[in-house]
Amino acid sequence: MKNSDFKTINVTERAEAQEKNANPFLETVKGFGFTFKRFLDHVTGAEDHLISYPEEKRPYSNRFRGTHILTVREDGSIKCVACYMCATACPADCISIDAAEHPDKSIEKYAKRFDIDMLRCVFCGFCVDACPEEAIIMSREHEICEYTRDTTIYGIDRLMNRPQAVDMGPGYRPNYPMIESKLPFTPAHPDPDKAGKPVNTTPKKK
Amino acid sequence: MPKVTINGIEIEAEKGMTIIQAADAAGLNELKIPRFCYHPDLPIDGNCRMCLVEVEKMPKLVIACNTPVTDGMVVHTQNDRVKEAVRGVLEFLLINHPVDCPICDQAGECWLQDYYMKHGLYQSRIELGEKIHKRKAVDLGPMVVLDSERCVHCSRCVRFTELVTKTGEMAFFNRGGHVEIGTIENRPVLNPYAGNIADVCPVGALTSRDFRFQSRVWFLKFTDSICNGCSTGCNVRIDHKTGTIYRMVPRRNVDVNKSWMCDEGRLSFHTLETVNRLLAPFAKGPDGQLIETEFNHAVDQMDREIGETVSKKGVGSVIGFGSAGATNESLYLMKRYLTEKHGVNQFEFRLEDEDKKVEEREDDLLRRTDKRSNTQGAIALGFADAALGGINGAAKAASRGDLTAAVMIYHPKLIHDLSGEAKQSLKQFIDSLQFSAILTPVRESWMDGASVLIPIGSWSEEEGTYTNFNRAVQRGGRAFAPKEQAREAREIFAELLGLQRPGYFVTQAEEVFTEMAEKVPAFTGLTYKGLASNNAKVPPPEGRYW
Repeated sequence: MKNSDFKTINVTERAEAQEKNANPFLETVKGFGFTFKRFLDHVTGAEDHLISYPEEKRPYSNRFRGTHILTVREDGSIKCVACYMCATACPADCISIDAAEHPDKSIEKYAKRFDIDMLRCVFCGFCVDACPEEAIIMSREHEICEYTRDTTIYGIDRLMNRPQAVDMGPGYRPNYPMIESKLPFTPAHPDPDKAGKPVNTTPKKK
Repeated sequence: MPKVTINGIEIEAEKGMTIIQAADAAGLNELKIPRFCYHPDLPIDGNCRMCLVEVEKMPKLVIACNTPVTDGMVVHTQNDRVKEAVRGVLEFLLINHPVDCPICDQAGECWLQDYYMKHGLYQSRIELGEKIHKRKAVDLGPMVVLDSERCVHCSRCVRFTELVTKTGEMAFFNRGGHVEIGTIENRPVLNPYAGNIADVCPVGALTSRDFRFQSRVWFLKFTDSICNGCSTGCNVRIDHKTGTIYRMVPRRNVDVNKSWMCDEGRLSFHTLETVNRLLAPFAKGPDGQLIETEFNHAVDQMDREIGETVSKKGVGSVIGFGSAGATNESLYLMKRYLTEKHGVNQFEFRLEDEDKKVEEREDDLLRRTDKRSNTQGAIALGFADAALGGINGAAKAASRGDLTAAVMIYHPKLIHDLSGEAKQSLKQFIDSLQFSAILTPVRESWMDGASVLIPIGSWSEEEGTYTNFNRAVQRGGRAFAPKEQAREAREIFAELLGLQRPGYFVTQAEEVFTEMAEKVPAFTGLTYKGLASNNAKVPPPEGRYW
């Protein structure tokens, strides 16, 4: 991937320029202007800005940091080599790994157990940044509701098999098109970046 | 005494030292010279060229590990010329390195990683595809795994097997970029010190099979201790995490174990994982069966019953039975408790005639036949009662009815099982007694007849000193707290004696040792803090009884 594939936005300059030209009073008026516009839209029925969650969902960014996905190799086996970089980087100490000897000597080491305690996780994405193998990425799934605490600890099987993530597509990951890894499932949309098209993309006209 | 100036710091060196030895002896961090092949306990080889330094009036850079110091020598280890040379050497060493740190067990304590961050930081000129690939994950027997690609060819392992164990398994094969270490026909390294070649390896080429993939080293906590495997008392470092020991590695002590330890000792901590740990106190119920009780009840019962026996049948019917695996502090406090509080004067510790074989060697290097760490300490503290002569004598006295009560500390042997004979005598001894209290970290079948079982911390769970075969007193650290309800033996006796000072949770081993040094002639003049030095020795007991 070339650097030119990315659009560079200098946030600092923009923020500085905005701060310089800002008038506190005027900004407040502008803000309320937007509120009143939305209010009038509703009252007049010109445009509906509400969605019926959870049947409808807003679009999530492809940098969204939801629950994790463990990627796989070509043959479908786990990509993780159990280097513990994610566990080392994790500020919440929510990742626990057991390593084992891989039958293939060129791989040598793989994760026999890989648990993430989703209740402890703070979804900072450090594990994704730390991973040297692109073995852990994040999804756009964020609704972690369970009946017991035990089931909020996701094991390998669950991290590699994500029915929710199939619909919504992958989230935060270091290289937007995956270079070497594969997703352990096929996202609904063939392009993983465009997968998970939200139900409601444009405001509905009534 | 030649005076050498290194980086502007004048240090005194001994005659015959090399530059690297003089710099190390100065003990200054800023004088640390990078090295791979130099090891203080192995002969100098000078092949890695990592320790290049500039000596004034010498035309070329010289290797610090093999250049003897002379008076007035001026050495530079940090100037630009040296820095560039060292970076070049490192780049050469890393030419064929696979950079597989994520799966390498050495990562975190790898000298290549450290030196790259300190002296390297260059852009690699070698593409990954251009590197020469060698054998990976080669099985070299039960102790080590070889990865040829990661090797820097320092020959430490070759020199270790040639000159320390004198078995000569390891050797170099091939030439040039294809050179690699290995054993002839890939035979396993089967000498009893094979684990050391993983320790001497500065990089990830030789790694421990036992520790392989168990944990990353930066998660581990380190506690300096003494190996409990035999009477040699090798200085070790216990690497542990959340109450589990992951590995043991030797610490350097020139007088005891140099930089080595035996494989039996290295793996001895696994014994503690397999034994049946006693985690709660037990006392004999009305039906004669041992049932779980409260800690204070068990200790009080022991105190009360011993007192009653002494008042009814006299002090001759009570015995204090120590263990050669316990610390000096525990043994001392046990003896003090029984003598001061109850007037008991019979003490014994021998299960398998440890005192007779304490100095006996098993091989030329380190191992000894006495698989107990503190036999000399128990002897010095007066636990060897000549009249009784070990557990056999005690068992006979008990079955005759001369002995009716006993307080016993028992520590399991970490290497080899207790002999069947000793176990039988123990069973006979315990079964014949009317009252017996055993302080033990494990539950074994011969203990079923005991009246009270009190759980204590095993080795690595109690702080204290051990006296080795040579009567060197050495400090063993506490890696983590005793499991569940168990407490340190020292603590239990200190509480019975009323030594617990207000505001302190436990009586520290240091306090006990200081008292012991004042009262026990054998320990006179020793200080707890001073035990780290190599000269802390107990003098031989007056009039040896064997």
